[in-house]
Amino acid sequence: MTSPASSSEVKYLIESSEGNTFDVSGAALRQSNTFNAMFLNIGADGPIPFTDYNEATLKKVFEYCEHSVNEENYSGPKHQDDLSKWDLNFFNEMDQKMFIDVINASNFLDIERLTSYCCERIARMLRGKNTQEMIKVITLPTAEELEAKQKVEEKKAAAAKKVAEKAAETAEKTETLEELPVQQLVQTTRNKLTRKYLSFSNE
Amino acid sequence: MPPFPLLRLPRLVLGEVFKSLSIGEKIQLSFCSKKVSTQINNWRLYSQKVRVYLDMYSHKIEVSQNGEDKFKIFNRCDSTDPDMQQLQIEGCTVPVICFTNEIEIFWKNHQEGFLSVIRHLLKMFKCKFSTTISYYNSDLSQPTISMLFDLQQEFKILNIHPYGSEDYNFLWNKISRSFELVDDFRILSCFDDFRPVFNSWPQKITIHSSYWFTLDYLFACPCTNITIFNSLLNNKDLDEILRKWKAGGFPNLEYLEIHSDLITNNETTILGMNIRELDRKVIQTDDGSKKATIDTGIGRIDIAVTPFE
Repeated sequence: MTSPASSSEVKYLIESSEGNTFDVSGAALRQSNTFNAMFLNIGADGPIPFTDYNEATLKKVFEYCEHSVNEENYSGPKHQDDLSKWDLNFFNEMDQKMFIDVINASNFLDIERLTSYCCERIARMLRGKNTQEMIKVITLPTAEELEAKQKVEEKKAAAAKKVAEKAAETAEKTETLEELPVQQLVQTTRNKLTRKYLSFSNE
Repeated sequence: MPPFPLLRLPRLVLGEVFKSLSIGEKIQLSFCSKKVSTQINNWRLYSQKVRVYLDMYSHKIEVSQNGEDKFKIFNRCDSTDPDMQQLQIEGCTVPVICFTNEIEIFWKNHQEGFLSVIRHLLKMFKCKFSTTISYYNSDLSQPTISMLFDLQQEFKILNIHPYGSEDYNFLWNKISRSFELVDDFRILSCFDDFRPVFNSWPQKITIHSSYWFTLDYLFACPCTNITIFNSLLNNKDLDEILRKWKAGGFPNLEYLEIHSDLITNNETTILGMNIRELDRKVIQTDDGSKKATIDTGIGRIDIAVTPFE
């Protein structure tokens, strides 16, 4: 069950690609700018579908968000050396596949702090290396792989559009309660979602 | 740990990774493959203005940001070592030796290779160049300078040792039309009939053998900083220069330094004073908008202009 509120006690249901649902606190979810743009003010009727990502990935991402709820406001990327023991463990216990899934999910959910730390970890793989050493560290994709990547991004854009439509639909249902303000909210949300969708498609 | 699929990352994440790397790391990464290079170029890391020093004597290109984080690219003649790592740079497959802060590239045609590296850098960054043109590097300086001026690239420092030849005249005509691209232009020597025509001017100019730099040249010069050594200007000329400045001439002038054996403590006065009396004097323009502090020495005068407070 979800409801429009700003209290950290409020729980939201998240739906993964397997169709499984689990709870996430409002405070943790609010670290996602994508969530803020879609659901924060209007609430969500039923589980929020982040069905492009599996349960393990989403749980990992929101584990990070739950942990950083009580940290000070995010003030830009930290150097790797400044990461806490908890942060380091969080990253170190992931294998490469999970790390990439977390980056993708964090990027889609627009969780600034987590995305920034992931970027820093990737940059660290390249730092201090010369071209020959970098070639050993990174996989250079073939033309087919690049084409496949483009298809995945198109699919994600379509998924984002679907989520946006669902959010707008939910917003419409609340119109009867507070007709005029909600209509304005729906329009605002639609505008935000359209912008988000367009920027995603342009990527 | 298996190799990391860098290019499969979301575009925004990839951009953040690129931005967090140093200049040298970005260049090293760009040499990994054409696809990586294209991705870096797509990010147009133009907010990072890099300084590029072109050493056309040793075919070395030095890239840095504010003089720090230096990365050196040595462009050598072709190598026959078959075991050397091959990279594709600007469409050419070339042997290379990589180090942490430098790379040696072995080109079949080192002149074309030098230009290829510059083109590669220009796609990545907004560059400001510094270099020296002389007869001894004319094989490289002619095509390089010509290309950079055609592309309207900016120069931090451009040194020149003028030499008389058809190629040189062609080059001078080309760059003298676009001197506004140059911050600091330095003429380090000259030949007997050296009488250059300036179709435009740099911001600052320094001339080492300035016997040809007459009052006519000086009066036409709109540079902010002018430094001339081995000049033939004398006390009478200085008097004329300062009177012109007081009357509103040299509107851009911030600093003028003249070295001449003909600046002496003789009876020819400057603004009614001899050269010793002029030392440490503060003068001002007739309209009172600017003041200038004068510093004199044996065969030398410096004039530093400041707005009137």
